Amino acid sequence: MSFNVPEDRRYTESHEWTEPRDDVVRIGITDFAQDELGDIVFVELPEVGDEIEAGESFGIVESIKAVSDIYATVSGEVAAVNDEIRDQPELVNDEPFDGGWLIEIETNDDLDHLLSPSEYSEQI
Amino acid sequence: MTIPPDSIDVDQVHRDDTSDGSPFAPHDDSEVEEMLAAVGVDTAEELFDIPESVRFEGSFDIDGASEQRVRQRLRETVEQNEDYTEFLGRGHNSHYVPSIVDRISLRSEFLTSYTQYQPEITQGFLQVLFEYQSVIAELTGLDVANCSMYDAATALGEAATLADRSRRADGNRVLVPDYMRDTHRDVLENYVEGTELVVEAFDTENGQVNPETLENELSEDVVLIYVENPTIEGVIEENLTEIGELSDAYGALYCIGSDPVALSLLQSPGSVGADMVVGDASVLGLSTAYGMGLGMFACDEEFLRQVPGRLVGASEDSDGTRAFTLTLQTREQHIRRERATSNICTNQAWVALRTAIHAASLGPSGLVSLAEKCHRLPERVAAELDEIDGVSAPVRDCHHFREFKARVEPDARELAADLREEGIAIHALGSDEIQVSITDVNEHRTDDFVQAITEVMN
Repeated sequence: MSFNVPEDRRYTESHEWTEPRDDVVRIGITDFAQDELGDIVFVELPEVGDEIEAGESFGIVESIKAVSDIYATVSGEVAAVNDEIRDQPELVNDEPFDGGWLIEIETNDDLDHLLSPSEYSEQI
Repeated sequence: MTIPPDSIDVDQVHRDDTSDGSPFAPHDDSEVEEMLAAVGVDTAEELFDIPESVRFEGSFDIDGASEQRVRQRLRETVEQNEDYTEFLGRGHNSHYVPSIVDRISLRSEFLTSYTQYQPEITQGFLQVLFEYQSVIAELTGLDVANCSMYDAATALGEAATLADRSRRADGNRVLVPDYMRDTHRDVLENYVEGTELVVEAFDTENGQVNPETLENELSEDVVLIYVENPTIEGVIEENLTEIGELSDAYGALYCIGSDPVALSLLQSPGSVGADMVVGDASVLGLSTAYGMGLGMFACDEEFLRQVPGRLVGASEDSDGTRAFTLTLQTREQHIRRERATSNICTNQAWVALRTAIHAASLGPSGLVSLAEKCHRLPERVAAELDEIDGVSAPVRDCHHFREFKARVEPDARELAADLREEGIAIHALGSDEIQVSITDVNEHRTDDFVQAITEVMN
């Protein structure tokens, strides 16, 4: 089965994606991750203004039978949280790279340490 | 040769009926050897990986006995009990348990030492637990009730840790009233050991919370305020709404300790701003016995994903038929490991079943009638005791539920001892106070009780 791996962002081995935007980076989980988890029923996210550290868990994705931590890809302050997925967690299943994004972080970190789309594609 | 009757070893006779060794395990030595050979070990001990350092090598010094002899010994032990009419209470209260509760709960479909959670085979049990949760949710006025915890004290411990997890502001203080029972406070303190939480008692006045005094203790670092209604002294708290407003103002969670019978009559916790309710639900379905209880736990939907213990939900199967299942299991330790909401791994399912049957057999009006009796009877008896020289009742100038304290002279302990001679058990609190609990179970002896105190005091 082939999974969508957009070219305009970077990835982690733990299946988070990071998209550089104007002032922030946007983070979500990949198509592969949502498929592995199955029907997602709840997403626990930080609050705007929270400080998070690269490599540390900033939230939780719950599917019917599993709970997974989501790890920050960069350090910084949470600039925005996707409130829509609090009421519609299934957005993460339906549009993992678009409507199902999780948080935006204001950061000074670069993304060089993250996997390229081709490196991530090889992993999955 | 005829064996004289007194030389027959009854235990031996009955042991031979079942097996050659243990009267309860029908395996003889050859069968045991056969089983060990089948699994490829020499001794039963090899089946267990128990380190030498923690092995018990001694003898338990317990003689084997036949079933008949065990029953005889138990009967002889039970017969040593004195047969008092109890007016005890203080957290353990009995109500009459209708025989339908035994009749249904002792059915083999329900009575098992294993907690029944396999949805494929236990729809009946899951439905009963769902009904139990529904009863508790309705009585508390809160959105969610779990399908039970061990007892009231552990439910309170879970309320404290839920508050710790859920409250975003920094803080670690859990405030409890000074009237709280020591044993419950001990469990609470044990429960929060290993967290940052600190349990502190605040002063109460005339047996209940004074909101002004409480506010002096409040600050932004309070995570939980706990009060009881009725209190351990049977006092009905009058300021629940004000306490709820205070907890809101300081961002603390608000937990009320109560029970299903009291909640049938008293202010609904949901209506006074409570975030959680804990207590002992076994006042329905179970007589007081050796401290066993049924931990009630209910909370606002806001905390749904933080609820400790198990939740049964109603759903539909693939044919569209109503079905019951354990829900939100992702909070639990077998999935979430160290991030589980609680590490209590089982619950009081069978006791919850009895509570649900008892509640259903009484129905809403029956529950209210029972609760009204628990309010009316103690107040009437307190007034009668107050007429006796040397007795002042109730000590607390307020409304009561089930229980009240009375001041006596010259000595409460002597009075309690004298009443025991009359077959009546009460609590003596220190040297000059007694506490009396009156419910539907002992109401038929209240006249004897008042008469006995009258005679003893004179």
